[in-house]
Amino acid sequence: MRSHPASYRDTAGFVFLQHGKVYRYVHPAYEMHYSSLMESGLYDELVKKGKLVGHSEITERDIFSFTDGKILFPEQIPFISYPYEWSFDMWKDAALLTLQVATAALKKGMILKDATPFNVQFNKGKPVFIDTLSFENYEDGKPWVAYRQFSECFLAPLLLMHYCHPGTHKLFSVYPNGIPMDVLVSLLPKRSKWNMNTLLHVHLQAKFSGKQKQKSGVEDNFSKQKLEILLKGLESFVQKLSPKKIKTTWDDYYTDTILGKDYLQAKTTLVNSFINGLDFKNVIDLGANEGYFSLLFTDDKQVIATDSDPNCINNLYLKNKAAGRSNILPLVNDLTTPSPAIGWNNTERASVTERLKADLVLALALVHHLAIANNVPLGLIANWLQPMGAWLIIEFVPKTDEKVKLLLQNRKDIFVDYNLEHFKTIFAAKYHILKEEKVGNTGRILFLMKRKP
Amino acid sequence: MHFFILYIDPGSGSYILQMIIAAVLGVSFFFKNFWLAVKAFFTGKRPKKDEDEKDRAE
Repeated sequence: MRSHPASYRDTAGFVFLQHGKVYRYVHPAYEMHYSSLMESGLYDELVKKGKLVGHSEITERDIFSFTDGKILFPEQIPFISYPYEWSFDMWKDAALLTLQVATAALKKGMILKDATPFNVQFNKGKPVFIDTLSFENYEDGKPWVAYRQFSECFLAPLLLMHYCHPGTHKLFSVYPNGIPMDVLVSLLPKRSKWNMNTLLHVHLQAKFSGKQKQKSGVEDNFSKQKLEILLKGLESFVQKLSPKKIKTTWDDYYTDTILGKDYLQAKTTLVNSFINGLDFKNVIDLGANEGYFSLLFTDDKQVIATDSDPNCINNLYLKNKAAGRSNILPLVNDLTTPSPAIGWNNTERASVTERLKADLVLALALVHHLAIANNVPLGLIANWLQPMGAWLIIEFVPKTDEKVKLLLQNRKDIFVDYNLEHFKTIFAAKYHILKEEKVGNTGRILFLMKRKP
Repeated sequence: MHFFILYIDPGSGSYILQMIIAAVLGVSFFFKNFWLAVKAFFTGKRPKKDEDEKDRAE
């Protein structure tokens, strides 16, 4: 049985894929910890609260050609997102979840042996802990083995977003095993030392790391009570963090838009008429901003809303959270530099292009940004969109449009092929153009297309 | 046992650091709780329920 490329670190077991479904193998040597999780009531408590992914045990081991150990079939997560695609409050909720899971585990005599955001996924609008094998029996007197990992994997990105810029979470794709403390300290402003928690968890830790040798015997002088204090302290620290307020390009796009309410109303009516009667289950909204159009879809449609602006995606996440909406997954994703395939052998974490697949793709007010602001030829845009989904709703914004004029005001117009006729020729090679409608009294055109077989 | 527990590097100095932090936070929580108790005594309001109590109440 071949394990998932990202499932090689922990010898307690591994994740594997069979017929497109995810399973988890539990090594016999880990079974005592697994039994504690199941029998202590911890599993039931966490699953009931929606904090841990539920699973069933597969009894027919031999169909997977295992002779020992256990096979778990966890609840399947429809879309795997990675931390460098989350906005500030998604990170914050994932960090709080990890600490709450660790605290609940400690009450039942267990502990989390690792603390990485890759153990968290967003499902039905909420973060959920997915690594069933992270739990281990707690030996009294031991400190938290995953403290450094938690600091580098959760505190570091959160503090960068708090002190420096809400888009700095992207640095995590360069340091997916945690942003080293010395790197973090070199980026944080000096005033961060005046915060007691940052001083203790970051500046002091940076001083300690790499310099002091571990003294033997120290790890036995800790206590469960001290560990509870540490976890409680980390939780209240994370709870107080907020993203640095920086006005980004796309903040207030809909409130400030020069295009006005009539344009939005006309576009909404058109999108609704296009999707009416269409057979689809999941949607990708590219360049979603704060999800104005993602919110048009009913609860039975799963929507992935992506935008390069971290503020917009964070606002969408918070709006969904407040409304208890569970069908929209907001993700920070810059389409011109999408998340790459990273990790060992470049196979651990798949690129976002490989993961983004749906029945319907929305590309509203997007093409001019790709074609003119980023010089991507229309043919490349069509090639990129075609494998993403069978249906496409795409908006063409002509050169006469105010927004395109803005994009061109400081540069030479080298885009001789950027016109409606050429756009249609290019897309007609890959799609059947089913509908073509003018959006209100603007020169913009909305298309409904179906991918050619 | 340690076969599993040390599959990640805890980081050098991390254990001593955790002891220092737990001590500092312990003192800080003690004074915070003390202050909340004093406030509660004079205002007659009960201190806020913690997460556990909220969970049990649900």
